[in-house]
Amino acid sequence: MQYWATMVLWIILAALTAAVAAILILPFARAAKTASADRAGEVAVYRDQLAELDRDRAQGLIEPQEAEYARAEIGRRLLAAAAAGEGKAYVAPKARKYALATTVVTLVPPLVGLCLYLALGNPGLPDQPLEARLANPGNNVALLVAKAERHLAENPNDGAGWDLLAPIYFRSMRLGDAEMAYRNAIRILGPSPVRLAGLGETLVASNDGIVTEDARSAFEQAVKLDPDNPRSRFYVGLGFEQAGRAAEARAQFETIAKGSPADAPWMQLINQHIVKNGGTIATGQDTARAPGNPSPADVAAAANMSQGDRQAMIRGMVDSLAERLKQDPNNLEGWVRLVRSYSVLGDKSSAEDALKSGLKQFPSSGELVALANEMGITVEGVAQ
Amino acid sequence: MIIEIGHYALVLALATALIVSVLPVIGARRGDVAMMALAPTGSLVLFVLVAFSFGVLTWAYVVSDFSVANVWENSHSLMPLIYKFSGVWGNHEGSMLLWLLILVFFSALVAVFGRNLPDTLRANVLAVQAWISIAFLFFILLTSNPFLRLDPAPAEGQDLNPVLQDLGLAIHPPLLYLGYVGFSVCFSFAVAALMEGRIDAAWARWVRPWTLAVWTFLTAGIAMGSYWAYYELGWGGWWFWDPVENASFMPWLAGTALLHSALVMEKREALKIWTVLLAIMTFSLSLLGTFLVRSGVLTSVHSFATDPTRGIFILCILGIFIGGAFALFAWRAPMLKAGGIFAPISREGALVLNNLILTVATATVLTGTLYPLVLETLTGEKISVGAPFFNMTFGLLMLPLLVAVPFGPVLAWKRGDLLGALQRLYVFAGLALVAGLAFFYIQNGGPVLAIFGLVLGFWGMIGAFADLWYRANFAKVGLSVGLKRLAGLPRSVFGTAIAHFGLGVTVLGIFAATTFGTETVVEMKQGASVDAGGYSLTYDGLRDAVGPNYTEQRGHFTVSRGGVQVADVWSSKRLYTARRMPTTEAGILTFGLSQLYVSLGDAMESGGMVVRIWWKPFILCIWGGALVMMVGGFVSLSDRRLRVGAPSRKAKPVKATLEAAE
Repeated sequence: MQYWATMVLWIILAALTAAVAAILILPFARAAKTASADRAGEVAVYRDQLAELDRDRAQGLIEPQEAEYARAEIGRRLLAAAAAGEGKAYVAPKARKYALATTVVTLVPPLVGLCLYLALGNPGLPDQPLEARLANPGNNVALLVAKAERHLAENPNDGAGWDLLAPIYFRSMRLGDAEMAYRNAIRILGPSPVRLAGLGETLVASNDGIVTEDARSAFEQAVKLDPDNPRSRFYVGLGFEQAGRAAEARAQFETIAKGSPADAPWMQLINQHIVKNGGTIATGQDTARAPGNPSPADVAAAANMSQGDRQAMIRGMVDSLAERLKQDPNNLEGWVRLVRSYSVLGDKSSAEDALKSGLKQFPSSGELVALANEMGITVEGVAQ
Repeated sequence: MIIEIGHYALVLALATALIVSVLPVIGARRGDVAMMALAPTGSLVLFVLVAFSFGVLTWAYVVSDFSVANVWENSHSLMPLIYKFSGVWGNHEGSMLLWLLILVFFSALVAVFGRNLPDTLRANVLAVQAWISIAFLFFILLTSNPFLRLDPAPAEGQDLNPVLQDLGLAIHPPLLYLGYVGFSVCFSFAVAALMEGRIDAAWARWVRPWTLAVWTFLTAGIAMGSYWAYYELGWGGWWFWDPVENASFMPWLAGTALLHSALVMEKREALKIWTVLLAIMTFSLSLLGTFLVRSGVLTSVHSFATDPTRGIFILCILGIFIGGAFALFAWRAPMLKAGGIFAPISREGALVLNNLILTVATATVLTGTLYPLVLETLTGEKISVGAPFFNMTFGLLMLPLLVAVPFGPVLAWKRGDLLGALQRLYVFAGLALVAGLAFFYIQNGGPVLAIFGLVLGFWGMIGAFADLWYRANFAKVGLSVGLKRLAGLPRSVFGTAIAHFGLGVTVLGIFAATTFGTETVVEMKQGASVDAGGYSLTYDGLRDAVGPNYTEQRGHFTVSRGGVQVADVWSSKRLYTARRMPTTEAGILTFGLSQLYVSLGDAMESGGMVVRIWWKPFILCIWGGALVMMVGGFVSLSDRRLRVGAPSRKAKPVKATLEAAE
């Protein structure tokens, strides 16, 4: 069907071109008519000027003597124009052949038209009015969203609609819209742990990972409604941690740890945060560690060391991570951590080397490029 | 498919313009009727193609076809229909297409109504129009193509710039362009005359009414732009000497000079060289304005996108057309035969003075506009040339002109009598002085300069009718005969009087609004009151509201005078959701010719709002005067004398020339 549409388009374009060329050739076909001398109009204008002069004189707008001078002036011009007009006609056009002119008129439209249009146009692309596309959206998420938006613009109190749309906005990083959708859903349908947590996460994402007061109160409300939800509680803890309230943060993280099975995938993260906020880990789990992460034992040891020793230990861990990555470079997370560690240690050249090696392995990694930008390292061949 | 046909029509228009730009010129040189006849036919084809193309783009906006990049960038499916239309020219690409559409529309008008022009002149004029069309077609197709597509098409557009979502904007650009681009025809006539080395009488008969029509549109466009800036931008001012405003004002000044110069040329065949030069200058200034606004050299609401290739492209167009025209002028102008002679003190002399002052005034505005740009390019130093510069230079230049305006019409042609004119006018001057003093006394206050300004305004208004008074000769022949004589006067005389009256009204408005106006900036809490212009405003608080594509906070004010409530007004701050862009919607109350202007500022932590309140006495006179000038233009256009013009070569009289512009 697409093929036929394109065919029809080309036929129309060809017809249009032919029509334009044909109309432009018409004057040559009609060329036989004779032309009058072109100064007749001028003579008429001078006659009119003389009449006007008389009117002006009658109204006293010009002195009689001046009027006489003007009359003489116009009269001279009138005579000159009349004399020049007489006996002067255009060359008999019949004798002319318009071979060259007609060729130009026939060839220019198709040539210019085709060359430019092929370079600029999109003959294969059909029209796409929005109404028609919305009537048949298929699997196009953006269109489904647009459809839902229109529905909501007409029925702004349809809470279910906002509920449906909010997480989609969040996933496509339209955070402002996501916030509005979550707030509307909460306003209309009342708070629920899912909506509150969604709102909180949207706020965190739009503040570059900072758990603001607003976000934390949303999470706290969610926890109140559903105390067993580790996700919301984690953010509450994170908010305290970022605010420097370590004890309260640790309490939240420990509550999660207590309520979670030992092999839950988030336990590692939780343990990290417990340690960070000055706690110790109940069990010596060592599961699902990314290479190069310090084991809880290492961390515990680091806490008791002197400044110099700690530095040396960190340095040792970073070096061992580098060694491991050299053997098994297929570990993006590892590279990111390595680069970051080097820059924390203030070793800029090693950080750059690590970044380059990492990019060699993962050339399209946005995370690494972002990191490079963040650290102000320029990497050849990578767009910043 | 329709969109692609529209795109192709534009390409085909380029091909047509190429043909029309060359063959008719050859035809005019050889005296070949067939080749010359190609010009009107081709110009009509060109107009049909561009109009179709423009129609297709408009259709794409109306049905929200987001596969067109231009629509996606500047429209939103939920936008009110009227803004979908105005969105077509509310962006760079679309506005250039509108520019082109109006250009070829004027070519088509010349083609249709120009049958009474000499063949060679018409062929040359249309060919020059086609050159300009080619330049802009290339510009549009290669650097600003509105028909570029997106695949896959996005589901929703990015919305039109909220500042531009306004009824005033829907009309302002087309009107302004009718004026701006209309001067291209005067330019083409001038270049064609220089190419032929001869200006005949039909030339002047055409150029004058054409200039008049175009000038009328430009006046309307500028006045509307000024009013739009006044109420939409929320700064309370009506003219900012902003480079973009200057860009439209310069062609107006030059065009006003052209209008008067063409008058002399039509009547007395004098000032030929002046007229040709002014015709070239006026359109050059229009092109310069387009360059300044479109190239991104200036930043303002008008520079929709900044793209250096576009700037360079327009600069080249500018160089070729302005440079070429002036070179042609330098080469050919000495060949033009000088026309009628006149004494220094005569109507012609007065109009030369008018030309001189207006040209110098244009030059000062040009300097003030370009100097900061040149300085920044050369030294990197940023300065801004603002109102003080323009008031000192432009304002000072205008004063003698405003004094002289009423003299022009009462001076006789060829050789006038200044003493006589003075004697005739002193009564009117006295009347103006009395009116100015009375006005000042009623308004009570303001600097002494204001008296002078007011008298000047009334002088323009009252003096405008001096000519009518003496032509009717009421003093000698009595009322009834005088009225009969008045009725017998040509309409152009009334047109002149009305337009000059309008100028006086504008001057009056400017002086009254600037000297008697007040500005108050206060923080207001709910229930607080402020006095302005004898009225008392009470702030009643904020309310939230939702529009089709924006949310707003509306502040409500009750206005009372002497304790009695006389009106209420809303002033709001809007947030356009798609672009997350805030705008201010000022609340404006009109009392007679004066206005009370309320604009909301930021909310304070204490719970109050910053509110700006202006009292603008007689501000409507500024735009009202422009409207009156327009009316004068139309009255003058309706003059029978102009329609006679150069009669048709065929027996049937063609009612030509001027309907074209109406």
